[in-house]
Amino acid sequence: MNLPFNDLISQRKLEFTIFSVVLILIFKIVFPLQTELIVIAINEIIVFSVIYFGFLTSSNYTQLKKTSPISLVVNAGILNAILFFLTAISSSLFDAIPKLSSSVNLIYTFFSIMITLIFIASIAYIFSVFRELYFLRVKTESQKLYDSMIIFFTLAFFSAMIPDTEENPNFIALTFFVVSIILISLNSFRVSWIAFLPKKQKLYILLISTVLSTLFSLNFALSFDESFLNQLLVNFSPGLHLLYRTIMIYGAIYCGIIFFTSLFHLPTAEAFDRKAEEASSLMDLSKLITQVFDFRELADTITSLTAKVCNSDSAWLVTMDKEQLKLSSVSNIGFVEANEITNIFASEGILSAEQFIVFNKKQVKIHIKNDIRTFDFSALAVSPLKVHNENKGFLFAARKENFGFDEDEKKSIEAFADYAAVALENAKLIEESIEKERLTSELNVAREIQYKILPNETPSCETLDVSAFFIPAYEVGGDYYDFFQLDNNKLGFVIADVSGKGISAAFIMAEVKGIFESLSKLIESPKELLIKANKILSGSLEKKSFVTAVYGVVDKNSGKLSFARAGHMPIYLCRGTKAQQIIPGGIGLGLNFDETFDETLKEETIYLENDDLIVLYTDGITEAKNVKFEEFGYERLEKILCSGNFRNIEDLKDKIINKISSFTDGNSQYDDITLVLLKWKSNNKPSGVN
Amino acid sequence: MADFNVSTREVGSIKIIDLKGYLDAHTAPDLEREFNKLIDSHNYKVVVNFDELKYISSAGLGVFMAYVETMRENSGDIKFSNMQNDVFNIFDLLGFPVLYEFFKDETEAVNKFNQTERS
Repeated sequence: MNLPFNDLISQRKLEFTIFSVVLILIFKIVFPLQTELIVIAINEIIVFSVIYFGFLTSSNYTQLKKTSPISLVVNAGILNAILFFLTAISSSLFDAIPKLSSSVNLIYTFFSIMITLIFIASIAYIFSVFRELYFLRVKTESQKLYDSMIIFFTLAFFSAMIPDTEENPNFIALTFFVVSIILISLNSFRVSWIAFLPKKQKLYILLISTVLSTLFSLNFALSFDESFLNQLLVNFSPGLHLLYRTIMIYGAIYCGIIFFTSLFHLPTAEAFDRKAEEASSLMDLSKLITQVFDFRELADTITSLTAKVCNSDSAWLVTMDKEQLKLSSVSNIGFVEANEITNIFASEGILSAEQFIVFNKKQVKIHIKNDIRTFDFSALAVSPLKVHNENKGFLFAARKENFGFDEDEKKSIEAFADYAAVALENAKLIEESIEKERLTSELNVAREIQYKILPNETPSCETLDVSAFFIPAYEVGGDYYDFFQLDNNKLGFVIADVSGKGISAAFIMAEVKGIFESLSKLIESPKELLIKANKILSGSLEKKSFVTAVYGVVDKNSGKLSFARAGHMPIYLCRGTKAQQIIPGGIGLGLNFDETFDETLKEETIYLENDDLIVLYTDGITEAKNVKFEEFGYERLEKILCSGNFRNIEDLKDKIINKISSFTDGNSQYDDITLVLLKWKSNNKPSGVN
Repeated sequence: MADFNVSTREVGSIKIIDLKGYLDAHTAPDLEREFNKLIDSHNYKVVVNFDELKYISSAGLGVFMAYVETMRENSGDIKFSNMQNDVFNIFDLLGFPVLYEFFKDETEAVNKFNQTERS
């Protein structure tokens, strides 16, 4: 209800209350006996304001206890008991004073003020309790009915000052009072909060409401007595006496309704409790799913909640990985036992990826070591964990005693299974993304190693043009090429391809670089060098790893080229318009570590002629694939080499790159691509003359 | 990439591994698993039939290198058969024919095993 000066009043409730109490104190001392209507009216207004502000002040406290309606009811009950106690004491100690006007003195006045203030405080507090309860869990609009009840309370309060005699009864006050009672009855049905109480509290409130409605009724009945206390109240303020009566009947009716409501709610209390628990645990679970990435922790929560909510003795969760069942979590059952039972179920073929299965009375015999244990389940439910129509495992719930699972319990087991499936999927996705991240960073490391290993520039001289290019694949392929300036004006060169991919290939590559770099300074013969390299690698290469390589030496003075091939791609010698494959014998490094390697390896020697072109490459070129999975192959490479349609080797290099990239056209590159071109420019003759 | 399939059959006491599709770094573990199974069951005489294999990468070649020693130590071997030309070229360039036995036909490889057993 919106009243004027709401803000001011709500801020200074206590001050207003104290002020009006002081006011009534002074007023009562000045006018101990009121007979004139105007004085009574003023008196009533002051009393009303005391009640009103008192109500506002106590609302402060009752609002704090909104979450525990039981304690509110208990508070009201205690005050009510005090009122009853006062009434009872006073009527047994004092008789009604026959002639009030003569016996009113200062002591009486103080006494009456004290008593009345207790009454006012109690009424205000009880009423604010009712108000809190009324608006507790109210969903529908009901303010109007409540407001009109308050209005009639007020009307009844003020009409009570109209003199009420036997021959001329106060019908107005009576009418308002009756209407108030009707409105009270209507408003008292707002007791939905009872439904939300746990079973224990329902029982408790049932008991309290019995006592309370009796007390309220007694107080109400006693307010009609010709007792000293009633006389005192009426004399103090007729409106207060009527309001007291109204509140008492309100209490009696309200508590009566609370009693019946909680009584009717009792049979369903257990089911309601379980539903509430299920709802809150599902909520907790969905929170967990988004917060906890550790599947084990989630699995433990799921099994323990399943056991709790579904009233089962034990529950366990089995996950399925590559058709393999794995017990993830157990609740109230041994790990070994749960595992055995699951295996028996799996071997009997009862585990269905499609259906939720429930057994009533199921006996399982399990063997643990030499011991046979029998499990007699009165109910056992198995729910598949399904995500995107794929089964991820099973959730088991078992009960040893009592009856089978009811529909609700079955549904919640299924719900928990669904949650478990989602959690499992989540955990898997997260794991995958972590793995992917790890791979990416590993790839970056591998690529960095590779770039550091490859030479920054190609060594060219008057008689020899050298060009090289390298295109890394997404996954590092292990290609390597290098040049070594040797004594006697000789140039050593190597091209190699390490088997496998990624970081392991990159590490072998680094080792290979070290070997070639040091051996090139020591051994002149390519064949001897490769044999030595193979021996060194025998100590470090994994069984399944190998390295193919071509190592050669060019004499920059004479044009004498000698080289050996260890399992690598054919070498091209382009002379004029002819491209010739040269394949000297030799097996890959790391394939064999005995004499077979040495015996098979052949060294080739060529005396280069002017404009001779030596082409070295890795299988990344010949095996480059287009969208139809066709390989680039030797022929396409040879065609470019033989075309003669290039100015110099840089131009040739660009042509080869372009040809390969237009061939693969958007198809991803699976392997590193490396190309090394050496062009001999005849002794002392400037190039381009021939 | 395209599919890869590996399956094992038996001809007498000799195991035949049939390869199909593309054998590369990603599919090589499937073949490794197959070899591990053979070793676990003490089968050391293996013929690998390449009839339907379209492509083999260096990682695929590595699988044979990793297991051949075990087979030979247990008086068995890995022999290759029915290889298509382009696949054989890869083996050939690497020098595999020096170290392994290649046969045009699977039965030749099986016979070779049986001969050595008799002799």
